[in-house]
Amino acid sequence: MPKLLPSLAGLAMAFTASAALAHHSFAVFFDQDKVQKVTGVAQDFRFANPHGTLTLLVKGKNGEAETWKAETNSPSILLRRGWKKDSIKVGETITIEGWMARDGSHYMRMMKASRGDGSVIGIPIEADRYRSVADQK
Amino acid sequence: MRLKIFAAVAASSLSLCCLSGTASAAARHPDLSGYWSTNTPPSIEDPALKAKLSPNAVILHDTGAPELQPGDFGGLKLKPEVAAAAAKWDPRSDFTLDKACLAPSIIYAMQGPFPLEIFQDEHLIVIKLEYFEMTRIVHMDGKHPPADAPHTKTGHSTGRWEGDTLVVDTTHLSGATITNNGLYHSDNVHVIERFKLSPDGKKLISSQEFEDPETIDNRGARFIAWQKQDGQYLNAYECDPTFALNYGAK
Repeated sequence: MPKLLPSLAGLAMAFTASAALAHHSFAVFFDQDKVQKVTGVAQDFRFANPHGTLTLLVKGKNGEAETWKAETNSPSILLRRGWKKDSIKVGETITIEGWMARDGSHYMRMMKASRGDGSVIGIPIEADRYRSVADQK
Repeated sequence: MRLKIFAAVAASSLSLCCLSGTASAAARHPDLSGYWSTNTPPSIEDPALKAKLSPNAVILHDTGAPELQPGDFGGLKLKPEVAAAAAKWDPRSDFTLDKACLAPSIIYAMQGPFPLEIFQDEHLIVIKLEYFEMTRIVHMDGKHPPADAPHTKTGHSTGRWEGDTLVVDTTHLSGATITNNGLYHSDNVHVIERFKLSPDGKKLISSQEFEDPETIDNRGARFIAWQKQDGQYLNAYECDPTFALNYGAK
């Protein structure tokens, strides 16, 4: 591979956090070994890149209402899996199955969403989607 | 009259000559044009492409949706100051309203789980990514940019054919993430990609190799594959930065 000539401008080191950006990482924020399912009433549904979001009001173990949030894959991907901008309406009962946030909060990355009648919305995300080939070996 | 007829025949002959010359040139090389969907698996380690990698290139296994865990850089040897910065990296500090919709460079973008479209001509090849609607221009005339040309997330690419393999050489990228876990490349990263079709023409297989002496001591590589899908189009990638509010952005 041809070598580059060193550049003084390059010494400005573009890898400092203030100059560069990392895209939202599943591996950093979510635990691929911790899957949970919650059912609640949709409070809002946002269908926009980089990730959509769905907020559910869920009945907790002690009967109190808890707010749970799930983020989705990019809507650009979900559109090809049968999702639409209005796939979920406020007030609908929805069950979300997803990977839990590493910080223990009521936040997950959606794998599958189902309606109150059990019908699945679109094509679910594969359970091993985020496992690398090396992980699977 | 005879002169007019002669001139008309000569003009026709010249046109046929040039058109057939262009058609011959195009026919000599595979046609990579079309809509290319993500493949399953997202990575194919083609032996011929693998043989072209530099001896010190490590292959990263994060193509597509899988990503490397924090602290895992897939075998890349980070400069001490880069390793220190990566260790201190707080992902939430990158999740601000002004950064949530910034595109990565093509190093990370090309391996993302999104389709692309290729438009191929003898002089230019255009690679359009659905991811952030990034558009790459590959100059097939060997023209290099001026040294003071601006750096962008798509950089400046020149291409050439090595047999049936398209080799794309890219410089002038602006700094961005390599592995999405705190490791960033500098503005002087250099990327070589190789693209080829599978024998049945239904898959596009590529290797990506990058070197960045300011941040890593060895080289990194990825294999990325796509599958042809007719009748499909890239979706818009409209980005809403308020997503960052879910991560405490203000």
